[in-house]
Amino acid sequence: MTMRLVSAELVDSREILPDQWLQSFHAPELASGARAGQFVHVRTGDLSGLVLRRPFSFNTADPVTGMITIHFRTVGRGTEWFTRLRPGDRIDVLGPLGRPFEVDPRSRHLLLVAGGLGIAGVRMLADEALRDGRQVVLLFGAASAREVYPSSLLPDEVEYVVATDDGSLGHRGYVTDLVPQYEAWADQAFACGPHPMLAALSRVVAGRRERMGVATLGRKRGGGRSDAFGSTAARRKAFLQVSMEQNMGCAVGACLGCVVMGTNGQPQRVCREGPVFGVDEVAWEGTWSQVLAEAAT
Amino acid sequence: MKSRKRVVTSPVVRSTITPKRQRAGWPLRATNSRGSVSTPGTRSPVRIEPGRGGAPGTAGATTEAPPAPLDLSVDIGRGLVFANPILVASGTFGYGIEYGDVVDVNRIGAICCKGTTLKPRVGNPPPRVTETPGGMLNSIGLQNPGVNAVIEKYAPLWQAWQTKVIVNVAGESVVDYVEVARRLDGVPGVAGIELNISCPNVGKGGLQFAIDASAAGGVTAAVRRVTDLPLLVKLSPNVADVRPIAKAIEDAGADALTAVNTLSGIAVDPGRRRPLLGNVFGGLSGPAIKPVALRIVYETAQVVSIPIVAIGGITELRDVLEYLAVGAVAAQVGTAIFADPTLPVRLVDELADECRRLGLTSHQALIGTALPARRGSGAASAKGVEYRP
Repeated sequence: MTMRLVSAELVDSREILPDQWLQSFHAPELASGARAGQFVHVRTGDLSGLVLRRPFSFNTADPVTGMITIHFRTVGRGTEWFTRLRPGDRIDVLGPLGRPFEVDPRSRHLLLVAGGLGIAGVRMLADEALRDGRQVVLLFGAASAREVYPSSLLPDEVEYVVATDDGSLGHRGYVTDLVPQYEAWADQAFACGPHPMLAALSRVVAGRRERMGVATLGRKRGGGRSDAFGSTAARRKAFLQVSMEQNMGCAVGACLGCVVMGTNGQPQRVCREGPVFGVDEVAWEGTWSQVLAEAAT
Repeated sequence: MKSRKRVVTSPVVRSTITPKRQRAGWPLRATNSRGSVSTPGTRSPVRIEPGRGGAPGTAGATTEAPPAPLDLSVDIGRGLVFANPILVASGTFGYGIEYGDVVDVNRIGAICCKGTTLKPRVGNPPPRVTETPGGMLNSIGLQNPGVNAVIEKYAPLWQAWQTKVIVNVAGESVVDYVEVARRLDGVPGVAGIELNISCPNVGKGGLQFAIDASAAGGVTAAVRRVTDLPLLVKLSPNVADVRPIAKAIEDAGADALTAVNTLSGIAVDPGRRRPLLGNVFGGLSGPAIKPVALRIVYETAQVVSIPIVAIGGITELRDVLEYLAVGAVAAQVGTAIFADPTLPVRLVDELADECRRLGLTSHQALIGTALPARRGSGAASAKGVEYRP
C-alpha cells in the first residue's frame, strides 16, 4: 500500500502506564493497508516551535472498525501536545511508512521480544500472527512492575512472560536472559526496544544455530540460496528481525536523517529500508568508522 | 572579462516588470547566456488559469468575467525558467521521487536535489537530526551515491517532468566541483546547478569556500568555465558580511544566488550531557533562521544584480511575500516540507490567489518593495550599510 496523507479523528486517549499513552484514531485508509512493523508520521498541532512530525509504530490496526492505535511515552513538547487532544480532534497522518516484519509462511511459533515502549513496535505482529493461526510468546522487559504493559491489552492467546530489572515482577534481570529458553521452540523472533537491548539480543541469537545442533537439521532456511542484502526474501529467512528507532526527519527517505549503519558499509534509512531489519543487516558493534573500514576490506 | 559577458548595461524592461521595479532602477536580467535579448515571446511561461490550482476561493471566480492570465514564471537566465517561484530546497526533497503520490512534483517551480559529490559519500554517524526551538539541526554529511549514479538513476526520470531539477553540487576542492559540473553538463533532465560552497576546502586547510570571497569567487569561476548550465551559488549565513562574497560570486559569472544555507549550531543531549549529533556540529534550519535569512537577502539584493532565490524558514505565504519584498525573485521551501509535504504546491496556489487579489498579472510587482530606493542604477544604498548594529 502506498503512503497517503490522511486526516484521522481521535476516538480514545488513555494513560495506560505512568507517562505512557494509548490513543485510538479513526483512519480507515490506514487501518486496512497497514502491516505490523510499519509506522505513521504524525504532525503536531503546535507549529510555533515544533517543525518535525513524530513517528509512531502501528500498535494495532483494525480494518473492520477502521481504527488504528499508537502507544507513546511523553518525552517532550511534541508528545505532550498529543496528550491534550480530545475525542473528535483531528490529526494529520502520513502513512503507512517503512517496511513491515516478514514472517516465513512456515513459521508456527513466533517469539516477540519487547523492551519497555518497544512493545509498541511488536504489538501488532501478535494480532497478525494469531489471525494466521500461529502461536505467540511475548517476552516483555521493564524497569519495574509499575511499567509492565497490561496483559488486558493483549490477545488472550498470547503467552506473556515478564522480566523486570528490579525483580518486582517475573524474572529478575533483562528480558534477553529469557530468550535462550525459547530459542528452540521459536521458528522466528521479532524484537523492538532500546538499542542496547537489541544489540544484546543480536549476541544471544548469534550462537543459536550452534547451540541447537541437530535440532536445525532439515529445517535450515534458505537452503544455500543467498538473497540480496535487505531483500524481503532474506528477511523472511532471518531468525531475528528487529524494529529500530532513530531521530527522524522526513520519514519518506528523502532527508537521510534517520540512518543506522548496515553491515554492508552503507547507511540504512530506518524510515525506508527499516524500521524492521534482519539482525544481520545492522552493524551492532564498533564505531561508524570501524564498520566502514571493515566493510571496505 | 569573459565571465562578465552577460552584464546588462541598459536594462531592457520586460512586460511583466512593474513601475516599482523600474523606479528602483535595477539592472534587470534581460539577456540569456547567448547574449540575446529575452522577450516575453521567447519564453514559455506557464500560465495558471483560473481555478486550475483547485485552491479554495478560485472556483467561484470562474463564473464571473475571467481575470487576466497570471504569469508567475521566473527567468533565471541561460534559458532556465521556473513555472512559478516556489522551489523545494536541497536535502529536504531527496531526488524528487521520495514523496511519491503525496506531492505532484510538476506543480513545483523547481526541485533542488540532494547535495551531490564526485564520489559516493556515506555521510556522518547518527544521530543526524534533532528538533530545536522553531527549527531543526541536521548533519547528514552529504551522504549521496555520487554524481555518476545520480546521472544514471535519476536524470532520466527528471527528463520526463515539467518541473525543472537543479542538481546541488558539493565538493572538497575546486577540482571536485569542476569535475561534477563537467559531468552534469549536457545531461538531459538536469536544468541547472546549485553550488553548495559551505564545504570545507581541503586545499585551503579546511576553510569553507563560502566564508572567503576569493575562494567563493574562484570556485564559481572555475565551474563557470566548464559548463553552460544555469549556475546558482548558495550563500552561507555563517559570515561576518555576506556582501563581498556575493559580489565575488556574481563577478565570477554565477547566474543567480541562493540565500541562505543553514546556520552552524550544536545541540547537547541533556541526559548524557554530551553533544547530541554524531557529528557534534549541525546546520540550523526552519522558522528560527528566517529573520537572519531575510536580512541576508536584503543585504545581498542591494549589492548584486543577478537574481536571488531566498530560503530560510518558509512555512506560509506571508514568508514568501516577505522574501519577495526584500528582493528575492523566488523562494525555496525546506524544513517545512517535513511537517507538510503539500506546502510547496499550496504556496503556488496561494501566491496566485494573492496576486489576483491585488489585481496583478505577475508576482514581479511584489519583488523588492522593502528595499531602499536607489538613486542611480547600480549605486549601493547607504541604508544597507548603516543599519548594521
